[in-house]
Amino acid sequence: MELTIAIAIGVLFGSGVWLILRPRSFQVLTGLLLMSYAVNLFIFIMGQLWVDMPPLTLDDGVPNPRDFADPLPQALVLTAIVIGFATTALYLVLMIGSRGVTGTDHVDGKETGQ
Amino acid sequence: MIQALIILPFLGSLIAVFLPANPRNHESWLAGAVSLLGLLLTSLLYLRVGDGEVVRYQWQWLPQYGLDFVLRMDGLAWLFAMLVQGIGLLVVLYARYYMSPKDPAARFFAFLLAFMGSMLGVVLSGNLIQLVVFWELTSLTSFLLIGYWHHRIDARRGARMAFTVTAAGGLCLLAGALVLGHIVGSYDLDVVLASGDLIRSHDWYRAALVLIALGALTKSAQFPFHFWLPHAMAAPTPVSAYLHSATMVKAGVFLLTRLWPVLSGTPEWFWLIAGAGVCTLLLGSFFAIFQHDLKGLLAYSTVSHLGLITVLLGMGTPLAVVAAIFHTLNHAIFKASLFMAAGIIDHESGTRDMRLLRGLYQALPITATLAIVASASMAGVPLLNGFLSKEMFFAETLLVGGAQNWWMSLAAVAMGIFAVAYSLRFISVFLGKLAEDLPQKPHEPPRWMRFPVELLVLLCLVVGITPGLSVRPFLDRAVLSVLGTEAPVYNLAIWHGFNLPLLMSMIALAGGILLYILLRRFYDLSNSDRVPLFHHINGAKLYDDNMQRLYQVTGWLVRRLGSQRLQPQLLLILVALAAVSLLLLRPSVPTGGIFQDGTWGFSLMWLIGCICAVTAAWQAKYHRLAALLLVGGTGIVTSMTFLWLSAPDLALTQLMVETVTTVLILLGLRWLPPRILPSKMNIQVPRRVWLRRSRDLVVAIACGLTMTAISYAVLMRPTPGTISDFFLLHAKSEGGGSNVVNVLLVDFRAFDTLGEITVLAIVALTVYALLRRFRPAPESAAIPPQQTNPLDPASKETPAQQADNGYLMVPAVYLRFLLPFMVMAAVYFFMRGHNLPGGGFVAGLIFAVALIVQYVVGGTAWVESRLPVDPHKWIAWGLGTACATGLGAWLLGYPFLTSHTAHIHLPVLGEIHLPSAFVFDFGVFLLVVGATMLILTALSHQSIRSHRLPAGDGAATTSGGGN
Amino acid sequence: MSLHWSQHLILAPVLLPLLCGTLLILLNESRHQLKFAINFASVLGLLTAAILLMAMTDSGYWQDGIGVYLAANWAAPFGIALVADRLAALMLLLTAVLAGCALLYSMLRWSRIGVHFHSLFQFLLMGINGTFLTHDLFNLFVFFEVMLAASYGLVLHGYNLNRIRAGMQFIAVNLVASLMFLIGIALIYATTGTLNMSDLAQRLADVGEADMVLLKVGAAVLGIAFLIKSAMWPLGFWLPTTYAAASPPVAAMFVLMTKVGTYVILRLWLLLFSGDDGAAAGFGANVLLWGGMATIAFGAVGMLASDKQGKLTGYAAIISSGTLLAVIGLGQQALVTAGLFYLLSSTLAMAAFMLLIELIERSRNPVEAMLALTMEAFEFEETPEQPVGVGMPAALAFLGLSFACCALVITGLPPLSGFIAKFSLFHSLLNGDGGNVAPSSLTLMVLMLLSGLAAIIALMRFGVRTFWASGAVNARLQITEVVPVGLLLLLSVVLTVQAEPIFAYLERISADLQRPELYPGRVLAEPVVPGVVDGGK
Repeated sequence: MELTIAIAIGVLFGSGVWLILRPRSFQVLTGLLLMSYAVNLFIFIMGQLWVDMPPLTLDDGVPNPRDFADPLPQALVLTAIVIGFATTALYLVLMIGSRGVTGTDHVDGKETGQ
Repeated sequence: MIQALIILPFLGSLIAVFLPANPRNHESWLAGAVSLLGLLLTSLLYLRVGDGEVVRYQWQWLPQYGLDFVLRMDGLAWLFAMLVQGIGLLVVLYARYYMSPKDPAARFFAFLLAFMGSMLGVVLSGNLIQLVVFWELTSLTSFLLIGYWHHRIDARRGARMAFTVTAAGGLCLLAGALVLGHIVGSYDLDVVLASGDLIRSHDWYRAALVLIALGALTKSAQFPFHFWLPHAMAAPTPVSAYLHSATMVKAGVFLLTRLWPVLSGTPEWFWLIAGAGVCTLLLGSFFAIFQHDLKGLLAYSTVSHLGLITVLLGMGTPLAVVAAIFHTLNHAIFKASLFMAAGIIDHESGTRDMRLLRGLYQALPITATLAIVASASMAGVPLLNGFLSKEMFFAETLLVGGAQNWWMSLAAVAMGIFAVAYSLRFISVFLGKLAEDLPQKPHEPPRWMRFPVELLVLLCLVVGITPGLSVRPFLDRAVLSVLGTEAPVYNLAIWHGFNLPLLMSMIALAGGILLYILLRRFYDLSNSDRVPLFHHINGAKLYDDNMQRLYQVTGWLVRRLGSQRLQPQLLLILVALAAVSLLLLRPSVPTGGIFQDGTWGFSLMWLIGCICAVTAAWQAKYHRLAALLLVGGTGIVTSMTFLWLSAPDLALTQLMVETVTTVLILLGLRWLPPRILPSKMNIQVPRRVWLRRSRDLVVAIACGLTMTAISYAVLMRPTPGTISDFFLLHAKSEGGGSNVVNVLLVDFRAFDTLGEITVLAIVALTVYALLRRFRPAPESAAIPPQQTNPLDPASKETPAQQADNGYLMVPAVYLRFLLPFMVMAAVYFFMRGHNLPGGGFVAGLIFAVALIVQYVVGGTAWVESRLPVDPHKWIAWGLGTACATGLGAWLLGYPFLTSHTAHIHLPVLGEIHLPSAFVFDFGVFLLVVGATMLILTALSHQSIRSHRLPAGDGAATTSGGGN
Repeated sequence: MSLHWSQHLILAPVLLPLLCGTLLILLNESRHQLKFAINFASVLGLLTAAILLMAMTDSGYWQDGIGVYLAANWAAPFGIALVADRLAALMLLLTAVLAGCALLYSMLRWSRIGVHFHSLFQFLLMGINGTFLTHDLFNLFVFFEVMLAASYGLVLHGYNLNRIRAGMQFIAVNLVASLMFLIGIALIYATTGTLNMSDLAQRLADVGEADMVLLKVGAAVLGIAFLIKSAMWPLGFWLPTTYAAASPPVAAMFVLMTKVGTYVILRLWLLLFSGDDGAAAGFGANVLLWGGMATIAFGAVGMLASDKQGKLTGYAAIISSGTLLAVIGLGQQALVTAGLFYLLSSTLAMAAFMLLIELIERSRNPVEAMLALTMEAFEFEETPEQPVGVGMPAALAFLGLSFACCALVITGLPPLSGFIAKFSLFHSLLNGDGGNVAPSSLTLMVLMLLSGLAAIIALMRFGVRTFWASGAVNARLQITEVVPVGLLLLLSVVLTVQAEPIFAYLERISADLQRPELYPGRVLAEPVVPGVVDGGK
């Protein structure tokens, strides 16, 4: 499982990197999406991998920390997701705006000779 | 008292700025008064300096770094101060008549006074760093004064050249001063002067010497930096007379004199200083002969005389120092008068070209006489002050050269010969019959314009005839202050009997006259437009070329080293990421952690996820929609992973975010240009592109591997004790909620959440601001063909009609029916948030989606006519609520965002526990709804607007249009 | 017991702009006088708060001059702690001053084109101040994002082709940087199990061998993120383009934002990796040092190559942040002191320059400038009334003088603060630790001298062309445009004259930074306010 998720993160990140190196703004956008998935997962696994131990201390009495997943990375990921969502939206709108003003969807706002 | 010397001129210059631009009278009176006052003060100070006292004034500036503001006046400083202010006074008087009434006099005199102050600062500085400060200030003011007539190209060029050279020298000087300070351990001049042996024996002596020499030589226009001075002649003549002959250019030799006790006496010193000096005096005097511009001739002669002084200082014998100081004085006197005379000629006859000027004696006899006497002094004719110091120079060359080594004496004689020659060339403009073709009819200048010249020439004679009485005592003081105990005995007699120096002078005189005659006879001086033999030594041209080359080279470099484009930048960043990580990350042995056994389901799930990702990466260019869906797939897998690995909140949030993002991008896709596969247009993709792609592929793979490696390494090791146990333990008991993640968000780390929702708000506002100025690209502004198909009845209906009774009726009914349920869901997730997965953020997104659906089916206009939501208000209230909750804690005397639980008794429900965190979460909810809706509506409005008014006008944005 | 008001003061620099920004969202754009008034009032409030904090941190009001604020009343390291110390106070003051000037400058034109300028401005301040105050790694990230998000909005403010292009690049680069920021934080958390900086510094000692590698990777990735923001070569290509494109008041704030990256590096690096003991000691020092030098060189070359003033200032900013990075890399106390002075002086001058540029442009060719004005006027709905400039006869003189002053400070020529800064740096480089001078120090010194020369040549070329060659006509200036520039330059003069006390203060700051052990002692020991009703602490 560790290996799987590690590879998965790598693949997502790699594809993202490939995309943000492309010249078209839409490619960059999707690239950023993929990269942020990878990074979110990355933060998430920083504790350990826990199966069926959601950090819900429902029953009364003092809970034993060993029985629960590490909640802090989850909280961080939540924040990261929200911020990622916001910035993605911004980039999207900028992409449209740039396309409108510059007449191209090249990331530099002008076609380079290629 | 001594500080007044510095303050006065700067104060004067400040006042001058605010005086009326013209006429000249106020300014010149002011400047005159300032310099006169300074002169008086300085003379008074002689009472103390005269009997060997060193007048000091100290002010703590930056003691931590040994930088104090120290003014220090000894004999040498006094002499120079007198020089600066004396000549200054005369120049002011002269300038009053020289400058035309149309010139903006305020600026001129302001700069002039500022220069005077800076120059005084240089000579009076008692701290090396402070000396550098004033040194650079003189360069600066000189730059401004050279460029005074800045509408003239030569003025701009000369100013830039002069400043570049002298400022560069100044930087060297700064470095030199720092090195000296490092050696001595103090920048205070007295301390430095006291530790000569230490300096000369230090390893860094050479460095210090070279750096300081560079500073001095550039300032005093010594070879190979001499070229700026002739070009500085573009300045008004008073400036040339003042800065570029009498005072500023003397700063270099002043510095060498000042530091003579600590730096001189080594072979390095001798070769560096004397060498530069000899080259300069020969070249300067030789070049001077072949000038056609009066001021050009004087400039080169100045260069050569400065060279002479430099040589004297380089020799390293005490007597030579005496001669150097003496000649500095003499040169200032006669050269200033000559410049002024040249200025008068220029002023009266309208030209300075010696090829035109003839027989001016008839026109202005008095000026002519004065000029002739002064140039005789320049040539070193007996009974004039120039003669005395030159004679001393000859004597010193003989002394240093000794019996066998004659080269310096020869150089000296050669210089003498040239000097006589160019002096004759200068005099020649007065002889013969008056030229007819002059721009103006020359006549004598006004009385007071000539007065300075008269006074200076008188000085030439006085010093020349009775040196012992006139100048001796002051010279003694200066010499003593430099040489101290090793001050030599010398006599300034005019007549030393027949000896070698006298012979040399005679040879120089005779040879000079001969040379001049020969040149006139055989060389046709007046028509040669370039200097023979040495014309290729052209520093100015070199300078210009280098500046040009510098511009080009750096331009090339910047293009190589930097980039305007995004991709190279990102590439570099990612390469850095991969490289750094892989370098640091040695293959660390898996020390085994809590190992979750792999399950096929999980792996399979991720197999799909990865395939989606890779395909998306592959397709994103030509099949945007497909890529978008694939990315969505990856997102789903991610959120499933969260669920699997016991993070229900994350799963939920990820899912909702996924949905909204997809909708957003779908709204955006419409505005992107069509992209046709190159194969369809049968275009060959060039090799360059393939190379670039493969390079990027390598980088991508490298980054991917890095991440995999790091993640694996992290997972394969026991985790350290983290702070999160605390949260698990206290979430329920003290945070009042059993969903630890949610408690973290709204209580433990509520501060983060506050920031996070702020980001959301900011982005929403930005998007709105951006889109209301949106201009669609022309080809995507038109209504897409699908909607204009005449056969399709829907094409004539508004979206609302389509939904009410058009082909969308059925889904419309369902979706509108769905609205209340989705709202319920939102409320539900919100309420349970504190104890079970859910919370304000998720609820907000669900609510937003509920509304979006209505937009999708009913069309923007329909929805907004029915439920007028002003997203701006939602955002504001959301943020407001969150902050207010936080501030509530203040009232109870607790830190911001401290959570409390209110107990409310309701008639029916009984007591209800309402933790403040709940209210905070509600703020989050409001904001999320507001922000999402604002972004979506802003996007969805584009299509309406751009159809209605192709110009694209923000006013169409109805929702909170004003905000 | 309850919390004393002075504690809340630590939060004020973050909370005040947040509240004002929120309020400003609700106000209609057409009431720009009111909006401006609110905005300006808030900035004045920030100024007061900064001055108070400065006094309190410096007067021994708090033990070791460190004030701690436990947000949400959870003890560090579990909750988020805000820490006000001398350095933070200084930066807050700088921010407030710059903000005031930029805002005043923007009053007549820039705040009125487009919408939400004021809210974004306030949020920007919130972000910047937050980064100065927070003592929690992830919270730092959040505030960075606040700052960046606002800066995205502001760099696009006054929407034109260049701004869109520059914005695309700026935003893309920063998004990637933010991702790296997250990776770094995650790794640090994974290896040390904490996010609180002080706690981190403490736990650093007992990080295992294998973990130390990961920790270093995390620190390195984090470092890259900050180096991108402080525009170290070759990660800072975005800077000149962005500076050149942004509107003057925004550009002035950007000058500060570049320094924020440097600030974080200074703080974190000295807190975590300074000192001679520990496995992580001196980690990455050489990267900072040599990278900084490369940056200086690049900036110098760039200045020589560019004759557009926007680019000029951009490269000047690159030089200055390169200098700071190198200084941090060397990290000796005296050097850091001088570096801080350099930071103050160059930031002020550069900001002034940014504001000046537009005025110079206007003076250069009024017809064109007016045209540009009207062109921009057509872009937006509510046309702001043109600044009805009273033709000041002294306008050109003012511009020339201000330009000269900026140039003097930027090039480090006497007599203004730029020279003091450079001199003190050189002095510390040469007389750093007991007489012996490292070759790297000498290299740095030579580089700085050369970059100074480059700046002289470039700025002189520009100045001569602008003021002398192209017979500049009298500009029409607004008092609200003149005052900020004058104020900033005046401050630079004050820095020069009052060098002694200022340096004394900066020395205290760098002394704090050299004693990282102070912080854990204060931050982790800060007590929470006991006894909240139910679910309290």
